[in-house]
Amino acid sequence: MSDESIAAPEVLPPPEKHVGTGGAVTGAVPWIDKSGAIGGVFKGIRSLFSGMKVTVGYLMRPSTVITQQYPENRETLKLPDRFRAQLAFNHDDNGYHKCTMCRICEEACPNVSIIITGREKPAVSKKEIDSFVWRLDSCTFCNTCVIVCPFGVLRFDGTFESSVYDRRLLAYTLNDYAGPVASVLEKIEDPEARKAAMEKRDPYGAHTIIEALAERQRAKKAATHAAYAAAKAARIAKKEAAKAAAEAPAAEPAAEAKDVG
Amino acid sequence: MSWQVKTMAERTGDLLPGSPWTAVLYVLLTILAVTAFVTLCGLVLIYAERKVSAHFQCRLGPMRVGWHGLLQTIADTIKLLLKEDIVPRDADALLHILAPVLSFAGMLLVMIALPMSPSIQVADMNIGVLYVTAVSGLGVLGILLGGWSSNNKWSLLGAMRAGAQIISYEVSATLALLVVVLFAGTLQLSGIVQSQETGWWIWRAHGCGIVAFSIFMIAGTAEINRTPFDLAEGESELTAGFHTEYSGLRFSFFFLSEFLNMFVLAAMASTLFLGGWMPLHVGHFTVFNGIMDLLPPGLWFTLKTSAVIFLIMWFRWTFPRLRVDQLMRLEWKILLPIGFVNLFVSAACVVTGFYFFAG
Repeated sequence: MSDESIAAPEVLPPPEKHVGTGGAVTGAVPWIDKSGAIGGVFKGIRSLFSGMKVTVGYLMRPSTVITQQYPENRETLKLPDRFRAQLAFNHDDNGYHKCTMCRICEEACPNVSIIITGREKPAVSKKEIDSFVWRLDSCTFCNTCVIVCPFGVLRFDGTFESSVYDRRLLAYTLNDYAGPVASVLEKIEDPEARKAAMEKRDPYGAHTIIEALAERQRAKKAATHAAYAAAKAARIAKKEAAKAAAEAPAAEPAAEAKDVG
Repeated sequence: MSWQVKTMAERTGDLLPGSPWTAVLYVLLTILAVTAFVTLCGLVLIYAERKVSAHFQCRLGPMRVGWHGLLQTIADTIKLLLKEDIVPRDADALLHILAPVLSFAGMLLVMIALPMSPSIQVADMNIGVLYVTAVSGLGVLGILLGGWSSNNKWSLLGAMRAGAQIISYEVSATLALLVVVLFAGTLQLSGIVQSQETGWWIWRAHGCGIVAFSIFMIAGTAEINRTPFDLAEGESELTAGFHTEYSGLRFSFFFLSEFLNMFVLAAMASTLFLGGWMPLHVGHFTVFNGIMDLLPPGLWFTLKTSAVIFLIMWFRWTFPRLRVDQLMRLEWKILLPIGFVNLFVSAACVVTGFYFFAG
C-alpha cells in the first residue's frame, strides 16, 4: 500500500475552521439548529410524524410482540441462546464428562460458588472427581467458570425454574457420576470395569457435602483453637514456673521484712 | 335533512307541566345515566389505554383476567375500592378530600354540555363553548388543591407545574376554539355541529381548520396533563406529582377524571372540528350524504371520538416528555403566535366568505 492511499482527504475530512477573532463557526454544527423559526416548526412536525410512524408500525404488526405468555407456553418456550439460568455439566452421548478436577473454575469463581471434592480412593486415574458442587444461592452468573474451563465441561443452560422449598436445596451436584474422565473410561474395554469405576451422584445431595465441609472446617478451627489454647496454657505455666523459681530465693528476705514490720 | 335537537333538559321541561314528580324522576334518571356513562367510559378507556400502550411497546398488556384481560379494569377497580384511604398526618384534611372531588366535578360538569347525538345531550346552552372552557378550568383547581393540601414538596411542585401549564395552554386552546366559533357563528355546541352539515370545519375552513385543530390537540393534551406534557406527575422527577399522597378511592377519582378528561377533549375536538354527531357530508352531494346518513349520529360521534382518543394515546406512547422551559417556549413563542395569525386569517376568510360551501 502506497503512502498516497492512506493520505488524509478520503479518510479524515480536513479540520473545520474554528472560531477566530470575531468569526463564526464555519460548517455544520449538529447541535445548533439553524433551520430558523418557521423551518424549525416544520422540522419539528416532521420529526414527530417519523416517531409516530415507528410506533404505529409496532402496533400494526402483532408479530413484533416479544412478551412470553410463560405458564401457558411452557412447552414451546424459546429462550435466548445466551440465557444464563443454571450451570450444567456437559456429558457426552455415553454420559461421560471431561472434568479432570483441575480446579481452575473453583479458583476463578469470585464468590466461592463452586466446591469440588475429589474421590478418596480414585478407581483408575490419579485424581478423580467425587462431586462438583455448584451453589445457586451465591452464584452471580458471571460466566467466568464457563470461560476458563479448558475442557469445555461447563455451560449455562435455560432451566430457570429453580424454586425449592428449602434454601439448602439451592446447591447442586452437577456431575452425574464420580469417576474418571471420558478419555480414561473409553480405554477400559470391559463394561463391567467401567461401571465399577463410576459411582452415581444425585444432583440434590449437594447440601450434605457443603454441610460436611463446613463441619470439617469448624472442627479444624476448633482443633486449631484448642492447640493454640493448649500452647498458651503451657507458655503461661512455663513462665509462672520460671517466675516462681526466680522469686523463691527472694521470698525469705521479704518474709523477714514482714516479720520486722 | 334537518336535525331536531332535543336535550334532556328540554324533555324535563316538557314533563314539568304534567307532573313535577315525573320530571324529578327524569332528572334522577339522567343523573344516573351520566354517572353510569362516566364509570363505563372510564373502564373502557383504561382498558384501551393499557392495550394500545402495550402494543405500541411490543407487549401484550393485560391477558389473564377474562378474555384478553377484559375484566382486568374491574378487578383493579375493586382492588382500589378496598384499599386503605391514607391521609398524611400534616395534610389539610378538608382540602385533601375536596381536591379529587373538584377535579371530578369539573370533568362531570363539562360532560353535560357535550352533544353526543341530537337526542343525547343533557343541556344545550347558547354559550356552550364558553361554558366548557370555563368549567374545565375547575380541574386545575382540584390539582392545585391536591398538591397544596398534601403537604409534600413533590406534590406541590407537580401542582404548581400543572397550574402554570394549564393556564398557559388554555390561551392557545381558546384561540383555536375561537376559529371554529368564527366560522360557525355561534357558541352553542349543537349549533356548531349543525353548522357542519355541508362539511367538517377541519377541511371546510381549509388551512385554518387544520392549523386550529393541531393547536387544539397540542394545547388540549397539555391541559389534560398527558404524556408529552405530563410534567405535573412526571414519575421520574416527582414520584407521582400532585397525587403522590393519594390512595384508594381518592386516587381513583383523580385517575378517573384524568381519563374522562381525555374523553372530554376528544369529544370537544370532534364536535368542533370533525362535525360531532354529524355524518360525513360533502357539500350538497345528496346521494353521498344520504349514504352517510345511514349510520346513526350517535355512532358517528363514537367513531370520531374514538379516533381522536387513539390519536392522543398515540402521542402519549411516542413522544418524550418536555422540559419545563421547553413547555413554556412551545406555548408562548410557537403556539400562541401561530394561533393569533391563524385567528386573523380565519377572520379574513369568514368576512370574505373564502371557505368551502360558504353561504
